[in-house]
Amino acid sequence: MPNVLTRFSNWTTTHRKLSWLIFLVLGLAIVTIVLTPVFFIMPFKAQTPRILQVSLTMRSWSPWFTLAAAVFLLAFAVALWRGGRWWSRIALVVLVLPALGATWLARQNHFEWMFNPLPNPAYAKVADASYVDSEDRVLAVTIGAESVAYPIRIMAYHHVVDDTVGGTPIVATY
Amino acid sequence: MDGQVLHFYLAGINNQNFIMRDKETGTWWQQVSGKAILGPLKGRQLKRVFHDELSFAIWKREKPEGRVLKPDDKIVAANQYETADWETRIGKMRVVEGVDVDKRLAPRTLVLGIEVGDKSIAYPLDALKKQSPIMDVVGSTPIMLLLGEDKRSVRAFERIVDGRRLEFFQKTEGSAFQLLDVETASTWNFEGKATSGPLAGKQLKKIFVLEDYWFDWRIYHPDTAVYELGLR
Repeated sequence: MPNVLTRFSNWTTTHRKLSWLIFLVLGLAIVTIVLTPVFFIMPFKAQTPRILQVSLTMRSWSPWFTLAAAVFLLAFAVALWRGGRWWSRIALVVLVLPALGATWLARQNHFEWMFNPLPNPAYAKVADASYVDSEDRVLAVTIGAESVAYPIRIMAYHHVVDDTVGGTPIVATY
Repeated sequence: MDGQVLHFYLAGINNQNFIMRDKETGTWWQQVSGKAILGPLKGRQLKRVFHDELSFAIWKREKPEGRVLKPDDKIVAANQYETADWETRIGKMRVVEGVDVDKRLAPRTLVLGIEVGDKSIAYPLDALKKQSPIMDVVGSTPIMLLLGEDKRSVRAFERIVDGRRLEFFQKTEGSAFQLLDVETASTWNFEGKATSGPLAGKQLKKIFVLEDYWFDWRIYHPDTAVYELGLR
């Protein structure tokens, strides 16, 4: 591959075709590994165990895979840009942008766009908790001498809250 | 897990039950079961912490010294928290197609799921609203399901004290919530504690109740029984 990259000036048509092929495969792989889990892990869609395993595996690998692939992708794009005609340059830009977008998306948690996390949860004494109605329901945890109420209307938004109760680290989830 | 403290965040959804991921190992965990489904800790199980689902009024009477999670001001300002009628709204949401359908109950029926030993059983909330307390025996364990004074909060207990099996009924006179056991006529409160009578001071053993939609309970408990009023 360094051979291809350093001697782009002497490229034959075969070299260019091969580079385009690698470029397209890389771009497609980046977009696929990022968008497949996004597509399958949707709230109102059924997930079979197999789809779930494949999707989560892709999601686990996508941050470093997309980064490595994007570096090669850009290298090929630069090589193809030089000596490329105007229409092939437009094609390069049109194809690089979604791949870079996917690389960025692999570093985002779109579930936390929908439901903002609560990284530093705050708590009130019972007397100050006027924001909870008497009929509102709470998830109630008591460990040792410490008792905590997680109002369900708050939990149904954040869904996941890390806490330590009575010295025990717990996660409250709804 | 193994002495390491894990911190969790929301990372996905599986047939309408959330998936969490921990920051420390990147393992993926199923919300309802606490089981690791993929990643370095796959197959491991988080220990369940006992919890109740109660109305705030009951909780603050029982735990006046407790602390209450505060809302995030930004989310309040954006008006994104659930409204007071959230339960009605969610109850009307559709259920994913393709999950194994079990016609014994409608998918969004609220059930009170109980596991005792290797037995699991789902009690429709509506059945408990018609008859409370419910006396049942799961496997060989006599249990009781109880509806609170708010007609919404639920608790379950083993109804054995010092090896003796008890039957309970709810006292109807007076406004305060009170149970009586048939055997000794001791009075009991919603916390499962005897407040007067021969058994005063005794505490019934609590049983964890998972309030869940039928379709979700059924996915994680494929062999579950369904309680029907009048069948036992």
